[in-house]
Amino acid sequence: MLFATALGALFRLSVLEFVPGSLRTGGATAANFRAVLAPQYLRAIGETALLSAATTILTLLASYPVAYALARARSGRVRSLLLGLTLAPFFTGAIVRTYAWMLVLGNSFVTWPVRLLFEPSGVLVGLVHFSMPTMILILAAALAHVEPALERAAASLGARPARVFWRVTLPLSMPGVVSGSLIVFAWTFSAFATPELLGGGRVKMIANVVKDLALDSFNWPGSAAFAIVALAVTLALVAGLGRLLAPREAS
Amino acid sequence: MTARAAGIALVVLLLAFLTVPSLVVIVMSFNPTAIMAFPPHGLSLRWYENALTYPQFQRAAVNSLIVTAAGTLLALPIGTAAALALVRHGVAARAVWAAALLSPVVVPGVAAGLGFLILAAGLGLLASRWVLIAVHAILVLPFVIRSVAVSVANLDPALERAAASLGARPSRVFRRVTLPLLRPGLAAAALFAVIVSFNEFVVSLFVSTRVTEILPVAMFTYVVNYTDPTMAALSTLFIVATFVAVFVAERLLGLSRVFGLEGHSHAGPSR
Amino acid sequence: MLHRFLIASLLLALTLAPLGPSLAGAPLVVSVWGGNWKNTIERVVAKPYTAKTGIPVEFEVGGTLDRLAKARVAKGAPLVDVTFTTSHVARLYASDGLFEKLDLAKLPSSNDLAKEAFRSDHAIGGWAYVYTIAYRPDLVKTPITKWADLWRPDLKGKIAMPDFDPSHIITISALLEGGNEKTWEKGQERLRQLKPSIAAFFSTDARSQDLMKTGEAPVEVMLSINAFHLRDQGLSITIVEPKDKPGILGIDVAAVMAGGQKTKNAYEFVNLLLSKDVQEQLAAGFKAGPTNTKAVVPASLKGQPGVFSSPAEWKERGYIIDDETRATLLPKWKEWFNANIVAR
Repeated sequence: MLFATALGALFRLSVLEFVPGSLRTGGATAANFRAVLAPQYLRAIGETALLSAATTILTLLASYPVAYALARARSGRVRSLLLGLTLAPFFTGAIVRTYAWMLVLGNSFVTWPVRLLFEPSGVLVGLVHFSMPTMILILAAALAHVEPALERAAASLGARPARVFWRVTLPLSMPGVVSGSLIVFAWTFSAFATPELLGGGRVKMIANVVKDLALDSFNWPGSAAFAIVALAVTLALVAGLGRLLAPREAS
Repeated sequence: MTARAAGIALVVLLLAFLTVPSLVVIVMSFNPTAIMAFPPHGLSLRWYENALTYPQFQRAAVNSLIVTAAGTLLALPIGTAAALALVRHGVAARAVWAAALLSPVVVPGVAAGLGFLILAAGLGLLASRWVLIAVHAILVLPFVIRSVAVSVANLDPALERAAASLGARPSRVFRRVTLPLLRPGLAAAALFAVIVSFNEFVVSLFVSTRVTEILPVAMFTYVVNYTDPTMAALSTLFIVATFVAVFVAERLLGLSRVFGLEGHSHAGPSR
Repeated sequence: MLHRFLIASLLLALTLAPLGPSLAGAPLVVSVWGGNWKNTIERVVAKPYTAKTGIPVEFEVGGTLDRLAKARVAKGAPLVDVTFTTSHVARLYASDGLFEKLDLAKLPSSNDLAKEAFRSDHAIGGWAYVYTIAYRPDLVKTPITKWADLWRPDLKGKIAMPDFDPSHIITISALLEGGNEKTWEKGQERLRQLKPSIAAFFSTDARSQDLMKTGEAPVEVMLSINAFHLRDQGLSITIVEPKDKPGILGIDVAAVMAGGQKTKNAYEFVNLLLSKDVQEQLAAGFKAGPTNTKAVVPASLKGQPGVFSSPAEWKERGYIIDDETRATLLPKWKEWFNANIVAR
């Protein structure tokens, strides 16, 4: 469809030469992809992977308790409250949420002992906050399908709560853990607004580099090459997700 | 049980983490001066006045309404047709179609944005509002399809067959039987589409111009260029509006069901 | 059935789309920096311009180099009519053929301008300022009086400076080592020693002001106009007239875009900018030096850093980096600076 055409245009331009200062392009060349291998770009890719991994792990740890509470909530009112608090930040939009973190992490709110704004740590906080609602919802849906009866059965057989969790709850919620993690990782990999505003130009993830090249330097071919790298990695991850989940559904 | 108490405390802490930024923004928006202090040294509504009268925001807000409305209206029928085709008929290479139609969710926003920008530039359409509308329609399509597909799956084809056997033409069957039964899915689809489109930022950043830009893009430009609490005021309005909308939607549509949170153990609708 | 629905929706969407606010009488579009810069130009030049001619003025805001990149892409069919930029970046615009060669006959106000204001055939100076040291006296107890003070150990991790244009600190480092902007390599080692003192870099005026406001970087190599703006907002800030080497002079220029649709109106706008009354209000509003010799600087501002009573003062109280050199060396400066000073 139209979307495929847009992607096609992306591919085509990435192999054309960049003529600085204009939108014209030269002949076919692999130079753009070679440029992706430059140290500062590889660094951006590496930092992006690292931040994405850290975000995924922290989000998982922070989301699980809330998801558990949401899935096990017995009162409809409590569930509504939890759901509302989880969803509200989700729907306020990237700019508002990132701006809110700029205010919190800057020195207007509290003078932090360690610099957080414009540092990778600050960007990490913003990314985790951004990913939590999604992860909570996915985990809660998975946990809702874990029969509390099974947990009660394990407990009645003498297992302590911690053991019940490790041996019963967690394994049964694995599909949610896996799909949630992959979705959060894939999304974080191409995050833009959060590192752009909270990174203050000092923390560049792949999406920021693409935007810099496209809208600041107007190097569309170079930007296209870089964007395709990001696309390739994301697609690989989603393909991995598909393969991981398919056999589970069959059984 | 102390474990339980600890668990509750942990959840409260985590929810606080989720909510504190919004609260800080709301408090900051009342700062009387451009130098933001927490807590503010006074209370003032001047930034609300500034936000609501800023011409670029006003224009962007109107643009947002237009783009979101047009995009949603475009996506709904296309999405419904796609959902019907996907779920009902054995469309060849169904998996491929499903993947292709759902791909906008997976592709990084910047890649899509750049692709559309290049495409539009090639067609000479850079400054056109239509590009933005088309982009939004494409971006909300997966959400529309998914929501409608759920309703379609729940739709008993026997009902439509019954209507047809009573002599109704296909268009009448569709209007009188199919569409009304799809209403919950369509409502959810419209809601998702509006929310996703209204907040869409990254792709829009690439294909907007100063004249056509939507509200999130205008807000981004403001944050980069200005340092006064006007954005805090605008954000507060956003947060309040969203909170209200979410609570209303939960009451009316029962969002728990939509998100599949009612598992076997609850007395929910069973398949 | 579905087709009918589709067509109906398309028609509805079609009717909605043109409902957007139509630009009543195409406005004059001015490209300028955001924040207090746009606000002052709007108040002092745009509003009187609209009152006089009835033509509304809109602004395209952004950073210096961002707007240059946008202009390059729109070459031949510019999206703006008047551009404000810095004197040396104007040369880059001109060499790309983006500016009109100024017909001074269309700018009668220019007769009152000092000769230093005529930066080139394509751009004309509107006001002047300095990049100097600004700091928060409540957060930095020992006064800062000269450029060399920046290297003081008590200022470790407290300084911010621009990363979009390192010309100022590179020149100052070279000057302190007995060189100048052309022999800038002489200051490289000294500049490397400054690295641990740097808390942050800013890419926009807004960031620069924010860092000072929140105290994250209580010492800055700052544009005097931005520093004065913070003082106007109630912040306690000291703006230094350094004793060892002067502040780096900056001149902002106005130019008319080549190939625009509203060239006549653009000239009218620039002419208004250069007129005595507007120049006086600019000087008072920005706290900067006017280029119109007839414009009088308010007595309360005379002698303040960056506030020049006349362009003749530019040489005395500021260091002028040669425009040509600056435009040529800027890419090399940026590359070296990014690799050696900005990189973590």
